[in-house]
Parts: sequence; C-alpha cells; structure tokens
Amino acid sequence: MDSHAVATGALYGYRNQKSSSTNNFFESSVTLETFLFYTLGAVSVGSALMMVTRRSPVMSALYLILNFFALGGLYLSLHAQFIAFIQILVYAGAIMVLFVFVIMLLNLGDEKKLNERFSWKKIVGAGLSFGVLMELIFVFAFSKANLPPSHFEKATDIGTVENIGMQLFTTFLFPFEVTSVLLLAAIVGAVVLAKKKLN
Amino acid sequence: MLESYVPIFVMIAGGVIFGVVMVKLNEWFGPHRPNDEKLSTYESGMEPIRSARERFSVKFYMVAMLFILFDIEVVFLYPWAVSFKQLGLGGFVTMAVFIFVLFLGYFYVWRKGALEWD
Amino acid sequence: MVDQALLSLAKFLPEITLAITFCLALLVGVIFRSRPRLSMWVALLGVVVSIALTIREMGITESVFSGMIAVDPFATFFKLIVGSSAIFIFLFSLYSAEVLSTMKRLVEYSSLLVAMTLGMYLMVGATNLLMMVLSIELTGLSSYVLAGYTKEASDSSEASLKYIIYGALSTGLMLYGISILFGLTGGAMDIYAINRALVTSPVNPIALLVASLLIIAGLGYKISAVPFHFWTPDVYEGAPITITAFLSVASKAAGFAMLIRFFKIAFIDSSAVGLPAGIWITLQGFEWNKIIAILSVLTMTLGNLVAVWQNNLKRLLAYSSIAHAGYMLMGLAILSDKGIAAVLIYFVVYMFMNLGAFYVVMLVSNKTGSEDIDSYKGLGFRSPFIGVSMVIFFISLAGLPPTAGFIGKLFIFASLLDAKWIWLAVVGAINSVISLYYYVRVVRNMFLRDPDENSGPLKFSVPEIVLLLLLVVPTLLFGLYYSPIVDFANASARMLGVH
Repeated sequence: MDSHAVATGALYGYRNQKSSSTNNFFESSVTLETFLFYTLGAVSVGSALMMVTRRSPVMSALYLILNFFALGGLYLSLHAQFIAFIQILVYAGAIMVLFVFVIMLLNLGDEKKLNERFSWKKIVGAGLSFGVLMELIFVFAFSKANLPPSHFEKATDIGTVENIGMQLFTTFLFPFEVTSVLLLAAIVGAVVLAKKKLN
Repeated sequence: MLESYVPIFVMIAGGVIFGVVMVKLNEWFGPHRPNDEKLSTYESGMEPIRSARERFSVKFYMVAMLFILFDIEVVFLYPWAVSFKQLGLGGFVTMAVFIFVLFLGYFYVWRKGALEWD
Repeated sequence: MVDQALLSLAKFLPEITLAITFCLALLVGVIFRSRPRLSMWVALLGVVVSIALTIREMGITESVFSGMIAVDPFATFFKLIVGSSAIFIFLFSLYSAEVLSTMKRLVEYSSLLVAMTLGMYLMVGATNLLMMVLSIELTGLSSYVLAGYTKEASDSSEASLKYIIYGALSTGLMLYGISILFGLTGGAMDIYAINRALVTSPVNPIALLVASLLIIAGLGYKISAVPFHFWTPDVYEGAPITITAFLSVASKAAGFAMLIRFFKIAFIDSSAVGLPAGIWITLQGFEWNKIIAILSVLTMTLGNLVAVWQNNLKRLLAYSSIAHAGYMLMGLAILSDKGIAAVLIYFVVYMFMNLGAFYVVMLVSNKTGSEDIDSYKGLGFRSPFIGVSMVIFFISLAGLPPTAGFIGKLFIFASLLDAKWIWLAVVGAINSVISLYYYVRVVRNMFLRDPDENSGPLKFSVPEIVLLLLLVVPTLLFGLYYSPIVDFANASARMLGVH
C-alpha cells in the first residue's frame, strides 16, 4: 500500500517539479531525483517481489527491511524528511525486530514443510491483483491532480520537523490526543494477549 | 536539496560493498576443502545432542511489543521538542496530557508484571 | 487555536467522560488488584454518565475541534444506541460464565470495552478522513483483543487472529482509497471540503469510482456487507458471547453511521434545487443507488441462505446479522432522507431483538455449556420464560407482527415502495421468508422436541430475568406503540451541514 501511495505522490511531485523548472540550475536536481526515483522504485518493487516468493521467513524479513529502506529513500525525494527517518527508525528498527522475534518464536524448523502445492486460488488471486494494478495504472496515468497552493515558501519545507510539529499541535491537535488513547488501548491489548499469567 | 543526502548514500553503499567484497573474496580465493568433520557443529569437543533451536521465551516478544508502542510515543516527542518554543503553554499542556495517558500505560505494564524478566 | 479547542471541549463531554473512565478503570484495576469487579463497576458508571451527557446534548448541531468531529442529532442518535448497547453488555457480563471464569483479566475486559465504546462514539461523529481512520482503528484494536479474550479456548484465539488479519487488510484498502481521494480533490481531508472540490472541479470518474469503492470496502468490512463479510462467522463464533453481541449491534451501528455520513456529505450534491425534499442527487452522476442495491441484495441473500445450514447458534445469529445488514443497506440504497430515517428506526428495534437473542444464548450456554441447536431441545419445558422470550426475539428478527422487527421492516419496505424500488422490496420479502425457516427451526427444537432424559429444569436468578424483561418488553412494546421512535428517527436524520 505504502509504495503505491508514494508512487502516486512522487509522480505528481515529479510532474510539478518538471513544470516549474525553467532554468538550468534545476536541471541537475531533476536528473538526480528522477534517477533516485527509478532506482529506489525498482529496489522497493523488486525487494517486495522477492519477499513474497522466498521460502524461508527470515529471508522474507530481510527483503522487507530492504523494502523499507527504499521507501525511506523515496520519502526523502518527496521532501518528507521526518517521515523518512521515522520510517527507518520505527518500521525497520522496531517493527522488523518484532517480526524477527515472532519468526524465531514460531520455531518453524524445517522450511521444506512450507512448500505449497499449486492451487487455483493462486491463479485467481494473481489475476485479480493484476486487474487492480491495471486499473490503478489507468487511474494515475489519465487523471490530473488539482494540488492546492502550498503554505510554505519553498516546497522543500513541507516535511521538516518544525513544520510537522507546528501542524501536528495546532490543526491536528485532536487526532493527536486520540492517538494517545489508541496507544494505551494497544498497550493493554498487548499485555492481555501476550502474557501467560497476569499478576 | 537532495544533494545533501548523497554522503549518506555513499556511506551506506560503501559499507555494503565492503562487507560483500570481504565475504566474496574469501569465498573465491580461500582454500575450499570440506570434509564431514569440518562441517559438523562445534560443541567444544562434545557430540551435539539435539537441534540448536531451543524453545523461545515469549518475554522477548513482550519487550519488543512494548518497545514499539513507546517508540511511537517518542516519535511524537521529536516534533514537539523542536517546535516547543512556538507552541507555548498550550502545546505543553497537550503534550502533558499525551504523556500522562501513556504514563498510565507504563504504570499498568509495570504493575502487571509484564516487565519482569522471568 | 487553543481557546477554540477549549470551547470544543464543552461540546465533547461524553467522549471525554469515556476517555477518563478508560484511564480510571485501568488505574483502579491496577491499584486494587484483589478486587477486579471494582473496575467493571467504574466502567459501567462511566458509560452511564456518558449517556446522560449525550442526552443533554441532544439538540445541538455543531462542529468541534476545527472540523474533526460533528455533534449533531444524527451522531447523538447513534451514540445513544452504542451507549445503551454498552450498558447492556456490561450487565450481561456480570452474569456471563465465560467472562467471570477469567477474573484475572476482568480489568482489561472492562477497560477495553470502554475504549471500544469511545472509538464508536468518535466513529459516528467523524467528519474528517483522518478521524475516520483513527476511530476505526481504536474500535478495531479493542475488538481484536476482546474477540480473543477467552484465549485458552482455541477458537477464540483463531477468531482474534482472523479478525486482526482481515481488519488490517480492510483498513489498508480503505487508507489507499482515502489517499487517492485526497489526491483527486486537491488535498481535502474534511468531507465537506471533498464535496466542494468535487462540485467545483469534476475529476476523472474512474479514479473517483476506484477510490470510493476502496473506501466502501473498508466500511463494508465494518458492517459485514458481502463480499467483505468473511470474518463475521468465525469471529462471532469464537469470541465470548457478550463481545459477539456488542460487535453485532454497536459496531455495525457505528459502521453504518460512518458510511451514511461519508456518503451523504461527500458524494451528494447539496445544492440541487427544484427537487422534492429529501431526495439525493449524487455528484458526477454515478449510479450509487444501483451499486448499494446490488451490495444489499448480495448481503441479504448470502446471509439468509447460509444461515439455513448452521447448527451452532452463534454462527446462525452471525449470518442472520449479516442478513440484517443487508436489509439496512436497502434503506441506504434509496438515497433519500426517508430511507435514512427507516435505517435509524431499524437500528433501534435491531438493538433490542439482537441483544435479546444473544442474551438468551448466553444464559443457556452458562447452564448447559453448549451453543448447539441440539442442546435447545425442550428448552420451552425446561425453562418456559426463556423459551417464550427467545420465540419473541426470533419472531421479531424474522419481521413478523406484532413485534418491533415488523415495524423496522415495515418502514424500510415503505420507503422502498415510495421510491418505486419494487424489485428490491420483493427480494427483501423473499429473504424474510427464508429467514423465517431457520428461526423457526430453533423454536421447533425448543417447544416441539422433548428434552433429554437427564436434564432438569433450568433456574435463573432474578436479576437475569429482570435483564431479559428489559429486552423483551421493548421488543413487544415497540411493535405496537412505535410513534416515538419514528419521530425521534425523523428528527435525527438531519446532519451537520444539511438543511
């Protein structure tokens, strides 16, 4: 999901950048950004494909980490520095650690047992996914985005920590407080589900 | 703007290439003469009794889960800390409420014994 | 910004009460570790106070917290339904063997129930896409854990796991649709702004269709519409009965409220002039009523047809609740104010009859330990009052007079015929007849089969009987005297921003 949303945004961002660059000073940064976009996009899609096709769950987890790094790079190219670093810190740092712990917890032993036979469900699933992919490509290729005028002088400022902080604690104050209740519910839920004997 | 991140990419690439080159050079240029004795598991001279995979304790999972939740709290602390001056008293109060709710969560986890290591 | 937030707090008292109750129930449970029931009473008290505060704000129509939440009659109506269901569920839990067998986790049970209620309160008022997602996550998270509450039983953990995976997938799809919609409407997260953006500058219709289908997928999962219903039977069967009852009534109500609000505000042209009052015109000329009608037909039909084959009463009631979601979607398919009022009426009667049916299942399961249809043999003779109440609930669920269920279906069919959707009404009627079969199957077991030899009469305590009466009496009463509900529903169909 993330990669598609990022791809959309990157495509729009790229288009806007291209239309606004009029002098040669920006030429080099456009080339760098397009190069980065294609490389990181290829890495993220490739690592995602590798992740779903590996037989060993640990290899899948490692490819997922690579995917997260590539997504972090894509966020950087979209001027969302804070999100990029949080992606690495939280996703690749904390959540993937949890994944690896769970894989070790399950102790699957002989990975040959995970061998699945050929089934029609896979064909139908692949066909449906392909259909959705075609539809989404059509949507992105043929629709134009009406982006509003930006609040900031430079578009590179939208992702800085200060600006995110200002927006988070003024416009989005209420969702922020709801998030605290959500985290508290998650803490209670985690302890209920994971502890064998509660004191 | 992205040019400032190029040194980071160079460092990551350098680290990866260094590690991969070291392993691959060893594989290609080192002697490769395996026999059964060398390939068996090393247990300080004793025979290995059973598989090395022990029963995994769930306390690691508990610690990792709680780490994620409190890490998210810290993630919210970063932008607040940076724009603290501009937000004034209102910002302080809202963050105090947030931290208080999560402190309740910490208190709950502590008293329920989820932080016990055994 | 801050003083605006403080002003909004005054309109936001029920939710604040629930949040404080959540924290207080946890605190009390941790400090007084030897008395877990204390936190359940604290939680119950908190929910009662929040309902009282909701009643106090019944006439208000406002938007609070800079457009994140709306406090209007529509939201208040659903908050009352969700809150009353929560109170009933707390009262059920006091007598449920499943819940009381795990006394050690009672604190978490009560506090997570309060958190779930808070999430639903936020769901029914959310006018911002971000708040919609956050409230769905809060409700969902609490219900994933509560579904796996009796985790020693394997089907409870299985239910929780399936619920989590399915919920995560559906929320992911919904977020994706929201992100596409966000891009199409120029960065609008407020549903009023989305409406304005769609009205002023038309967007690519295929993109809008894909985005809204994805969002409907996420919301359809919440109300267990087909084809997003696959989690419902397993989760309802594995979760403790009290939680199943709560999910089937309150979670569905909150999901419907969000669906109706999102639809009405975002996709309906509010500036249409020259039309009879109460008819909605969709933006960009989408045939939304056909799409919702198809969803409704699929939901009703699948729910009723599969329920015929069920032997476990919880699964049977799960499929029947899917079918009821289908009937309610019929009311939405009309896309008019009358249809929405019919859905609101249906929710009131649905709450009483569904909670009642689950309560009887819980009482029988307490004593016999089984939820199979076969264990209901001769229940009418072993405990006449329970048997008769169950018959009343089932007749109401099937939609026969003189019970409240008939009134609910009457108003839905009336609004369908009013809008000339004859074929949909016929499909609904056929489905009601099919549903009669599986409800009567249980009734037949209860009254026309003899009980097993070594099973004596079942005795229930007075508070349990009183609680049952609290559910049976409205089911019968509202079948005969329903005008207060109708007036209340008509008054509550008004939403913020709609004139």
